[in-house]
Amino acid sequence: MALTIDVVQGDVHVTITLSGDVDTKTAPELLSQLTALQLHALEQLRLDLQAVDFISSAGLRAIVFAKQKMPHESALYLIGASEQIVDTITKTGLAQAVRIVASVTEI
Amino acid sequence: MDPYARVISGRDEWGIEPNWDRSYQYRSRVAFDDFDWEGDSPLEIDDADLVIYELHVRSFTRNENSGVKFKGTYAGIVEKIPYLKALGINAVELMPVFEFDEFENSRMHPDTGEKLYNYWGYSTVAFFAPKAGFAASGKFGMQVDEFKQLVKELHKEGIEVILDVVFNHTAEGNERGPSISFKGLDNKIYYMLTPEGYYFNFSGTGNTLNCNNPVVRNLVLDCLRYWCAEYHIDGFRFDLASILGRDPWGAPLSNPPLLESLAFDPILSSCKLIAEAWDAGGLYQVGTFPAYGRWSEWNGKYRDTARRYLKGDDDQLGEMAQRVQGSPDLYQWNGRSPATSINFITCHDGFTLADLVSFNGKHNEANGENNCDGGDDNLSWNCGAEGWTEDQGIKSLRMKQSMNALTILLTSRGTPMLLMGDEFGRSQHGNNNAYCIDSPVSWVDWSLLESNHLLYDFTKNLVGFRHQHKCLRINRFDDPGSKHFPSCSFHGTNPWQVNWSSESKQLGWLMSCDDDSTSLMDAVYVASNMAHYATWFELPSLPTEYVWKLCFNTGDIQSPFQQSPAPYLESGILVGDRSVLIFTASPRET
Repeated sequence: MALTIDVVQGDVHVTITLSGDVDTKTAPELLSQLTALQLHALEQLRLDLQAVDFISSAGLRAIVFAKQKMPHESALYLIGASEQIVDTITKTGLAQAVRIVASVTEI
Repeated sequence: MDPYARVISGRDEWGIEPNWDRSYQYRSRVAFDDFDWEGDSPLEIDDADLVIYELHVRSFTRNENSGVKFKGTYAGIVEKIPYLKALGINAVELMPVFEFDEFENSRMHPDTGEKLYNYWGYSTVAFFAPKAGFAASGKFGMQVDEFKQLVKELHKEGIEVILDVVFNHTAEGNERGPSISFKGLDNKIYYMLTPEGYYFNFSGTGNTLNCNNPVVRNLVLDCLRYWCAEYHIDGFRFDLASILGRDPWGAPLSNPPLLESLAFDPILSSCKLIAEAWDAGGLYQVGTFPAYGRWSEWNGKYRDTARRYLKGDDDQLGEMAQRVQGSPDLYQWNGRSPATSINFITCHDGFTLADLVSFNGKHNEANGENNCDGGDDNLSWNCGAEGWTEDQGIKSLRMKQSMNALTILLTSRGTPMLLMGDEFGRSQHGNNNAYCIDSPVSWVDWSLLESNHLLYDFTKNLVGFRHQHKCLRINRFDDPGSKHFPSCSFHGTNPWQVNWSSESKQLGWLMSCDDDSTSLMDAVYVASNMAHYATWFELPSLPTEYVWKLCFNTGDIQSPFQQSPAPYLESGILVGDRSVLIFTASPRET
């Protein structure tokens, strides 16, 4: 399943809405979109995952990569991730790098 | 396949039947090293202070009643950390977690049709890669992170991680086995070969890795350094380690370069190195394993002596006395310490504790080898009936014998090791070699935690008692002891007088040291009676400012331990048949 990536620039944050599967084939697209942002100066990044069923290790790596480039006090929100995605993030220890919320109103 | 590959795909989820048409069953992948350790490092707990808990990653939580979300995985163990912490153990020893193929030699049971696997995994496919099928996230290729998360979480709770590593052979088998890595790279360098070019089989599994060749030696060193540095592993237990001391033609070396290199390696300098000091080729080196002041050993003689003593065999007192004080007969002459001895009564090989007291012989029919596999020298005693029984007398004797075993183990000097589930009576229904069984026979049945809660509470209290009493963990054979008592002394039914005759079944041991911070004496007296009749023991007399308190009594099956024991003011005590008592010296309250 193809991946569509929608990037919206807010005042202090960037929202990226993903739709489809983030697998080995599509993860590089996400990575290049993330790389194109001014990550080192970004205060807040919101990844909307409500329309994502599957994220492979390469996709999770892209998210970790983004967090590592962002300032230490910045926040990376994962919005509406499925239970399976949240489980994977939690048990692999990535949860400490991101903030998991059910919807954008919780931010 | 690259033998140094850090992630392997091909067996991403446990037990999914592979596509056998594929020429290459496994593929190397790239591992990332961006895991956030949050400042974690190995714990470096003193060897003498460890209580090790041996477990199989899948068996530990695979059962439906384990109560964890990710059953049979690294993440499942994380969910059980509060349990392990409450039990009081401070190291887990994981049976093999290097990538192996559960489908190696997999087959159907000829009678039952049940699928049999390479379940234990003592057959390495990739030495640098964690087993993907043990990771809940294996299908996403995230096993590296999940395993690191397990180590980090265990360390946070003060629990070390020891890996059971298998360097004596590989999954490539003999001349009929598959070619995965080493056979194609350089067959005659990596394997010990006969002059005709066949594979030597000292491991009992097809081939033997040529560990004392400089190239192979570096592979082993690189591997252990990698797990130590990259995964923060605290120690390694070497399967059939005696093979690692053989020369390329199989002869035992007096100064094996691999064992020496491991002992003096700077990166491994704070890692525990534990040898299973025998191999399947007949080399038995308990007490003589080339140690270089670094290696400790699974003490097979401890297991055998304790088992014989427990079932009341004649002629055991002298050897039991050696085992209890850390086996100086094996380790003192060459300058080693009591903690060299990893004491155990049960381990994955052989009966579980509940089976040790319930079966006289092995019952391995489920392994599909006509009950021919597995050891016959179990030194077990079924207490009066083979297998399950409704006889209350036999059942309570079994419970008592289980408690006796745990009591002796946890009051001996050296490093005690428990087998998963023994603390609540885990059974494999008499199977003493469940290496191929992926079923409830192998899986820990967590419902027993409730039905055998007394045994669990007893074990937990005993582990806590060991942690409280330094005198049980003294790690010197020449320790001066306390102001009042020698470090370790032996007693019979009369203090200071042991009846060492062959039919004698009563042994007491008194361990003591001074606590420098409080200037109080720490003293523990253990009275064991393995005879089938009750026996009166006079207690060793204490200085007037101390009184004995009775903390554990396996003869009192209803309440075998006391949380806050009252002073015991009699001069002696009747020790029940096949019972062990523990007293501790407590300052007299004025």
